[in-house]
Amino acid sequence: MSLRSSLATFVGNSSHFVLKDILHRGGTSLPGKLAIKIDPNVMTSLAEKYDVILITGTNGKTLTTALTTRVLREKYNNVITNPSGSNMMQGITGTMLTAKPKAGEKPIAVLEVDEANVEEVARQLKPKAFVLTNIFRDQLDRYGEIYTTYEKILKGIRLFPEATVIANADSPIFMRGNLPNPKVYYGFNHEEASGDMRAPYNTDGVLSPTDDSILHYHFMTFANQGYYFSKTDDFKRPELDYAITKLNKLTPSYSNFDIDGKPFQIEIGGQYNIYNAMAAYSVGRFMGVSESQIKHAFESNAQIFGRQEAVKVGDKDVTIVLIKNPVGANQVIQMMSTDDQPFSLIALLNANYADGIDTSWIWDADFESLADTNMQAISTGGERYKDLYVRIKMAGYGDQPVHEDLTKIVEAIEAQPTEHVYVAATYTAMLQLREQLKQKGYIKSGMEG
Amino acid sequence: MADYKLQTAHLYGDLMNTYGDYGNIIALSYYANLIGVDVETQVISLEDDFDDTAYDFVLFGGGQDYEQMVVTKDLPGKSEAIKRYIENDGVFLGVCGGFQLLGDYFVLADGTRVEGIKAMMHYTLNQTDSRFIGNVVIEDPTNGDVYRGFENHQGRTFLDAEERPLGMVKQGNGNNGEDGGEGLVYKNTYGTYFHGPILTRNGNLTLRLLQTMLERRYPDVDWASQIAQLEPEFF
Ligand SMILES: [Zn+2]
Repeated sequence: MSLRSSLATFVGNSSHFVLKDILHRGGTSLPGKLAIKIDPNVMTSLAEKYDVILITGTNGKTLTTALTTRVLREKYNNVITNPSGSNMMQGITGTMLTAKPKAGEKPIAVLEVDEANVEEVARQLKPKAFVLTNIFRDQLDRYGEIYTTYEKILKGIRLFPEATVIANADSPIFMRGNLPNPKVYYGFNHEEASGDMRAPYNTDGVLSPTDDSILHYHFMTFANQGYYFSKTDDFKRPELDYAITKLNKLTPSYSNFDIDGKPFQIEIGGQYNIYNAMAAYSVGRFMGVSESQIKHAFESNAQIFGRQEAVKVGDKDVTIVLIKNPVGANQVIQMMSTDDQPFSLIALLNANYADGIDTSWIWDADFESLADTNMQAISTGGERYKDLYVRIKMAGYGDQPVHEDLTKIVEAIEAQPTEHVYVAATYTAMLQLREQLKQKGYIKSGMEG
Repeated sequence: MADYKLQTAHLYGDLMNTYGDYGNIIALSYYANLIGVDVETQVISLEDDFDDTAYDFVLFGGGQDYEQMVVTKDLPGKSEAIKRYIENDGVFLGVCGGFQLLGDYFVLADGTRVEGIKAMMHYTLNQTDSRFIGNVVIEDPTNGDVYRGFENHQGRTFLDAEERPLGMVKQGNGNNGEDGGEGLVYKNTYGTYFHGPILTRNGNLTLRLLQTMLERRYPDVDWASQIAQLEPEFF
């Protein structure tokens, strides 16, 4: 380590101490900032000590990172990871600076990386593996296009042709780019590969990487994912190294499925989270963790971070979920469809900067399919309640109650006809809801759990 | 079972579908169902032919640059049929990319000129490092109706002397931020940059389009009085 790097490390460490202990904030980004200022390459010298696994993609990074860390800790004593939200260069630097790896075996760093930062982070960290979850269009992503996003990721991977790419093979975009790297593919094989369908109108990224023809599918899981093939050449989804072979039971709070014929369970609902579990499983196997160790990691009781949160409001069991784009909203609706109890849904829409100022995405979300769930009542609210009200009306639910004023939202929750209530909210609407729940004493903090 | 049926073609609906464009079909179906009319929708994409006699409504939405280039290569095979549909007074809605592609040409962010299908002669230039993003309000000069929407486009579109805009801008940028026009009307063809789907938010316009479609398909029915019973959404 150069003198400069040592100094940077020292500054990083001490500023973390100051921040964390005096300001009582999770200071993961400021120490990184200081250290980078003193030595822009501080990471390179730090990274040499680690086996680095980078996890990137639009959705599922956080859960995949948490699950992967848990899986690896079954076998390894020395696994560090970055807290959710610290997935830019500074946050990652902060994580690595403040980690105190034990002497002995080489420590592993499991790092969630923002798609746009993969090249910069990879260059410094020389990853052993890249994990790719999926790429969807994200309204909040400053109108980034999926192929542009993937190109940014490719730039990072191309620096290290010897690194292993562990990718969701059900996502066709990952077959672009002709990477020479060794690959591990995971996906779904729970249905007969016999059908022939095209993706619904409202799906991104359905062009064949070989000739830009429209992909066909033997079966689809959600969005553009599934067993795709081309009708104009012999392109098709590659063979899977690890596959979901059966879905045994899906509920809002857990999913039970077979991986290559053996049963596993994760303590969080939603089919999309099974993809995240598959990514963690694949990394585990790649790193020599046994099937039974992975099974144990999945089933251990520790809370894993998800996009849903349970709160008791009076006699109501309330599940709060964040929605921000059509793919995410459809995942939430899919998760609700696995609920075998009657429930009510309150959907809250704001259009501030953090929500996305364009509300037109609500027309791309499949609210129509709520008809196939046990939903007993639906109502809308938030600053843009009118947009959502009309959306829900046109989805076939007619006139429905609206909650214009979120200061009365807790009473509205208490007045729902079912014991179980889902509240799906965009980001700032969720903050407003949490503030109300806090004022009524149902949760402690308005900002985060 | 409804006795009446409208057929909709969602042109390249699997490639050109950004920002809620499909909402236009949801709104149309919603009002149609209220007066006992079914709306069926087919995606017409790369592998399909466009039959200009088969449809009562065509939606052509916006897309990402990559998909838009793939569509541009496929369009020459369909453009004659699309032109016939438009010239025969078919109801057509082009949003953003779909609006641009109906015209003479457009210029990409990197300066490349891409030929449109030239059903009309408007053209679209690019602007460097900026986009028109935000709420738009326009007024229809033919009837004083106000339309609300959300625009999000880099292209600046200029109408040909024979075309007229859908409305004059009260708030926002419109076609090019210069001449005060938004969108385009030619026969029963409408172009717009409204992504906050224009037909969901502006029920008056939706009902006018619906009436035109129904009168073309079922000329012997009094559609005007049935449609007059409907309450158009406006927000
Ligand atoms: Zn657009």
